Amino acid sequence: MAIDRGRYHGWQGELGSPWRGTLALVRVSLVQLFRRKLYWGVLAACLVQFVFFFLAIYAVTQTQLPPQVQQRVLEVFGFASSAGPAAASAAASHENGYTLFIERQSLVVMILLAFSGSLLVGSDFRNEALPFYLSRRIDRKHYVAGKVLSVATVVSLLTTLPALILFVEFGLFTGSIDYWLENWRIPLAVLVYGSVLCLVLGVLLVTVSAYLVRSAPIAIVWSSLFLLLRRLAVYLHGETGEDHWRLLDPWFDIHEVGRMLFFPPTSHDERHIARLAAALLVVVCGACLVALSRRVRAVEVVV
Amino acid sequence: MLKILLGLIRPDAGRGTILGCDITRSGAELRRQVGYMPQSAAAVPGLRGVEFAALSGELYGMPRRDAQRRAHEVLNYVGLGELRYRQLEEYSTGNLQRLKLAAALIHDPRLLLLDEPTNGLDPSGRLAMLELLEDLIAETGKSVILCTHLLGDAERLCHQLVVLDRGQVVRSGPMRNVRSALPGRFVLDWQGDGSRFVAQLEQAGATCSNERGTGRLVASVPATWNTTTFFQLARQGGVVLTHLAADEESLERLFFRITELESDVQPAPLAGDAHGH
Repeated sequence: MAIDRGRYHGWQGELGSPWRGTLALVRVSLVQLFRRKLYWGVLAACLVQFVFFFLAIYAVTQTQLPPQVQQRVLEVFGFASSAGPAAASAAASHENGYTLFIERQSLVVMILLAFSGSLLVGSDFRNEALPFYLSRRIDRKHYVAGKVLSVATVVSLLTTLPALILFVEFGLFTGSIDYWLENWRIPLAVLVYGSVLCLVLGVLLVTVSAYLVRSAPIAIVWSSLFLLLRRLAVYLHGETGEDHWRLLDPWFDIHEVGRMLFFPPTSHDERHIARLAAALLVVVCGACLVALSRRVRAVEVVV
Repeated sequence: MLKILLGLIRPDAGRGTILGCDITRSGAELRRQVGYMPQSAAAVPGLRGVEFAALSGELYGMPRRDAQRRAHEVLNYVGLGELRYRQLEEYSTGNLQRLKLAAALIHDPRLLLLDEPTNGLDPSGRLAMLELLEDLIAETGKSVILCTHLLGDAERLCHQLVVLDRGQVVRSGPMRNVRSALPGRFVLDWQGDGSRFVAQLEQAGATCSNERGTGRLVASVPATWNTTTFFQLARQGGVVLTHLAADEESLERLFFRITELESDVQPAPLAGDAHGH
């Protein structure tokens, strides 16, 4: 077999930190995702909510809507409470608008991630690519960090980034920088909320995908984790009236912790629940990381 | 074993160094100087060949631009220049093996660890891969540790041999020494009725069998045996030796001999005067 080959040339450069490899993993993971046309469709569907919020802000700030309609629009999108005034600068109401946006994105984020896990992580196990990754200079922590960051990037593209864009939009359409100055805590709170969401979802998805590998089991377990546990939590909470049952719902825990900067808990009970939610998330994420360190190895994994 | 040498798996016992790096302690530093070509498919779906090779470079810590430039170079070197923009799913097994070799070469390592580089290749693909590796070794002077169950590959490429049987090292050293450490084997041919001659050989301590293909006699003789003994026994047996040469047995046969499995592949017993040529 005659093959046309070039000559070998050496390379004299310096190798940098293995964390470069982590960034490369993130980039490659996103390339893998966005090369699939299906994901563009799912992503577009995921951003419908953003378009609605965007148009709502545009409508109340740039068009001459009757006051009642304006109030109603603000209420629907969480930027005003039905009990309070319709003032657009009411900081608390506005914070509620951004948290509402992130919470409404939760469902679509969950669906998108259910399909992403197999491609981002499961395929490495199916194709026995771990010996390839780990025989380079990166080790398990770099690999896990790369994969978690990849998932986090996808989550933030659907939650944190659009929420920040909405904040910028609201400020731009009010025509002065006062809105941004008065509500300076909002982008900070969005970032904190987004970070909690990204970290927890990233660690959970990578762990579930690393153990289940294939699309169908990942989607089933992932959906069960967030839908069935929520149902169970609501049912038990309704039956017993005990607030602690709500902690069974991962979304509740994430939102409780993420919202702390938006709405710091005031009562003793709220503080207690928020602390328990935070502790639960730390324990679950810690357990997931331990499980990942056992699963992510350079030896071939027989599935 | 290669993963132990790469510092990816901790050995149960023993120690070792590669290029001055302790295999149990300095895994990352060790892998900086070593390129590894895994046996598994190791494909990252959705990537193009050049992206895969560049990813390998970045995982070694190369700057992105260097990794991309270098990816083009090594892909050209292994003969994948025209296929570099194809997705990995479209690569044949042979091209995927070449791509993995390119990914191992990307940071110009001093040592290459190749795990079954010809695995799954058709004969022409295997030949092409062996030629590529021969050229690489000759051109760059890189050290290569080849792990293979195809002993013909090792015979063609390697100077040093380590034979592992059930996890134990049963022979190691330069290829020639490993062979010469075994009792001598000779290939014989003669004119005349050889039945008496063969009986005399066996009486004198030689073990005889027919060589596959040629039908010649292969005699395994004790270390103290002298080649003139063949001529003496031939004269006594009434035959004229027309061929006497040390048997350059293949590594496969050597492997079976030293792992005491040769009997499984031995040809049928000698058939009387089948050697009258």
